[in-house]
Amino acid sequence: MTNRLAWIATLVTGLFMMAQYFIKTEATNAIYTTLLDYYQIIFAVSMIVGGIGLLKQHSLKVQRSSQQRGYSLITITAILFMVIVAVISGTGATSPYQWAFNNLQAPMQATTFSLLAFFVASAAYRGFRVKSAPAFVLALAAIIVLVGKSGFGEMISQQLPAIAGWVLNNPSTAAKRGILIGVGIGSVATALRVILGIERSYR
Amino acid sequence: MSRLLSTFSARHLVFLVVLLAATIPLLLNIRLTHTASDETKHFYANIDSLPSGSVVLMSFDFEASAFAEIKPLAEAVLRHCFRQNLRVIGLSLFAEGTALGEQTLSRIAREKGKVYGTDYLYLGFRPQCTSAILAIGESLPKEFPTDYFGAATATMPVLSGVTNYDQIATVISITDGGMPTYWVDYAVTRYHARLQTVLTATMVTSFYPYISSGQIQSLIAGLKGAAEYELLLNESGGGGRGLLAQSVSQIAILAIILAGNMVGYLDRRRKWQ
Repeated sequence: MTNRLAWIATLVTGLFMMAQYFIKTEATNAIYTTLLDYYQIIFAVSMIVGGIGLLKQHSLKVQRSSQQRGYSLITITAILFMVIVAVISGTGATSPYQWAFNNLQAPMQATTFSLLAFFVASAAYRGFRVKSAPAFVLALAAIIVLVGKSGFGEMISQQLPAIAGWVLNNPSTAAKRGILIGVGIGSVATALRVILGIERSYR
Repeated sequence: MSRLLSTFSARHLVFLVVLLAATIPLLLNIRLTHTASDETKHFYANIDSLPSGSVVLMSFDFEASAFAEIKPLAEAVLRHCFRQNLRVIGLSLFAEGTALGEQTLSRIAREKGKVYGTDYLYLGFRPQCTSAILAIGESLPKEFPTDYFGAATATMPVLSGVTNYDQIATVISITDGGMPTYWVDYAVTRYHARLQTVLTATMVTSFYPYISSGQIQSLIAGLKGAAEYELLLNESGGGGRGLLAQSVSQIAILAIILAGNMVGYLDRRRKWQ
């Protein structure tokens, strides 16, 4: 019964959202904006549920004294610290919450992201080895774009940035467009499966 | 040599080369001479052509991890907007971009002597980007009755006459991810909003199809884009400072690719023998 109700709610909401795109009246607009409000409320609540789930999972890891116990303790402490300081002193520009964000979270994330440069270089060293004709085309395209789009590109040749632009705007964009069309058709098919009750991940 | 490069220490050598290529140019006070690409000129012309007082909705949709690359781009575009006396309305659809967006917007606004509530406004974060983008299409004042600081937006001069995308001259999504796709799907397709994007260099190829289809009017990307924009603005900033470091790193990676191929060739030749 619960499953059937969930499917009916999905069907009605899905069909309404599809129809209101084409039918614009005051009544459909009012329902549409109310649904958008609920969409945001449900998302905000799901973030709380996610936070609680994360705390629960890491608490279990601490209790079970697994090898990752220390990491779990740091995670729990960090979550609780940020929540508590935000509740006590707000999230304003001069609050401890903002200080922690600017001086702890942002640099830590930037550091992790910066490591990518090293991994990309290491992967390029191993991955761009020319062992076949397709590998040669891949390496050649990479070299043209890498040099052409760098600050030295136009110093080497005025034509190099234009050639790099051609590679990006033609073969690369054509491949990307093909992927996007495939994703679009896939999304429509999935949406129809959910609306028609064929796909019921909520069961 | 071949044995040395293909063993564990080769990885460390690669890391060392990248470290030196990225850091040494930052210590040198050298500016690369370069010209602006058509891509950057197009973005610049779009902003430049907006009449004074036009409204720009600037969405700071990035994570803290990409801030080093995004910051010079965001600052250059904001400087241009304020120089053109455009009204800038900031918001964020990414929780992490909220504070960074506010800091960047406020700093450049102060630098240009702009008044909060009259020349610019920061609306803060809205969860669930899809519904937020759609809701702005119905009514921006209803979606954001208060700003980031909790003040009522209804009486602010900056929002005077602004109801939805029809009164917004352009939307600029500053992002390190796929957020412009949502702006295209929900703001451009449904409400015919005019969209421009500011991206990290790695994301740029994902959005070229939208440029050729006209759904995104123009884009600028990466430190090179920032340096080019600063050149057009005739102002110095983080883009120009970082361009040499980025370019030297790119050439270092090219050298690493060539070294990798040389090592591979020598290894193969040794096996044949």
